[in-house]
Amino acid sequence: MPLALDPAIIGREFDRTVEGPVTADELVAFARALGETRPEYTEAGPALVAHPTYCVRFRGGRFYPEELLKLIDVRSGFDAGKDIQLGAPVRPGDTIEVRSTVHEVYEKTGRTGSMVFVVIRYTLSNQRGEMLAIVDNRFMHR
Amino acid sequence: MILDLHLHSELSDDSRAPVEAYLKVLQRKRAERPLDGIVLTEHRQFDPARDYRALEDRYGFLILNAAEVETDYGHVLVYGVNPDILARFDFSDVRLSAQALVTDVARLGGIALPCHPGRATVGLCDHYQRKPPLEGVVAVEALNGGSKKGEEARVEELVQRLGYKAYGGSDSHLVSFVGVCATEFDAPIRSMDDLVAQLRDGRYRPVDFRAR
Repeated sequence: MPLALDPAIIGREFDRTVEGPVTADELVAFARALGETRPEYTEAGPALVAHPTYCVRFRGGRFYPEELLKLIDVRSGFDAGKDIQLGAPVRPGDTIEVRSTVHEVYEKTGRTGSMVFVVIRYTLSNQRGEMLAIVDNRFMHR
Repeated sequence: MILDLHLHSELSDDSRAPVEAYLKVLQRKRAERPLDGIVLTEHRQFDPARDYRALEDRYGFLILNAAEVETDYGHVLVYGVNPDILARFDFSDVRLSAQALVTDVARLGGIALPCHPGRATVGLCDHYQRKPPLEGVVAVEALNGGSKKGEEARVEELVQRLGYKAYGGSDSHLVSFVGVCATEFDAPIRSMDDLVAQLRDGRYRPVDFRAR
C-alpha cells in the first residue's frame, strides 16, 4: 500500500520545545561517557563546551506529528542514523530551543521487504538565537 | 573498456560516498581494479544537472549518470535517462511496473536492466517463481559486489535458462568497494549513448575484482 501522506506535512514545524539550562556537570559527564579526554570537553571552566555529538540528545517534546502517527506504527521501527550540521558550540548555561519538522518521508524496498523512512529535522538554537545544530534523524518503519 | 555500472554516491539515502573519493580509490587501486570509468546509479532519482566533467578531467575516468529504480519485479538500473523517460516514470515510486519500464525505456531511447536478480525480495529470480518472465529484458547483473552466498548461482541459472546477457557492478555504497565487480566491453564507450548502444547490441561480460 502506498503511504497516503499529505505532502503539505513536509517542512512544517510540529513541535517547539525549550530545554535547559545546560550545566557544566552534564557536559563533562556526557563527554567522559564517550571516553573523551580533551580538556575543552571534560574540564569545567570558562573554556568548557559540549562535545559535538551532545546535540543528538535533544529530540523535542513530540516524536511525530499526529498525521504521521495515524499512518505509521512507531512500535515497529528503529533509528536508522543521523546527519548533523554543527553550528555554534553548546556552553554551560545555554537554554536549547528545539524546533521539529518532518524533513522527508519515503519508501524503499530491500531484501527483507518494504520500508518507510521518516526523517525528522531538529533545529537547535540557543538563547542568543545562534544555530547550534541541525540534526536530521532517520527512522525506519515496517 | 571496463566500467563499474552500478554504484551509489552520497546523493543516495544509504550512501555517504563522495564521487571524488571513489575516483581516488580507483586511481590508487588501478593495478587490482583496472577500470576506465563508473556509472552512478542513485536510488529512486535522476538529476540531469549533475556534471562531473571537472572530475573526469582531473582523474581521467569516465563518469556517467543513471538510476536504480524499484519495481514489481525488484530493482532495475535505467541507463540513458532522458526527459521523455523522466516524464513517463516517477522514479520515486517504489511500485513501478517492471514490464512498462523495460518496454517504454527502450522505446524512449534508454535501456532498463534488472540488477542483483539473485537477491531475495528485490531480485528477478524471486519474482520469476511467482510471475511470468518479463519480455524484452536484454541483460541482468550477474555479478554484484553486494551479493550474498548463493545469489550469484541463482543468477547463473537464470542467465543460462533465459539467454540473457550478463553484466557486473559493484553496487558500492562505501568508497572502498568501488569497482570490485564491473563490466568489460569490447568497444570503446565515451558517452551514455555509447553505453546504451553497447548494452543493447554490443559484446560485454561481467568481471570480478573481489579479493579471493
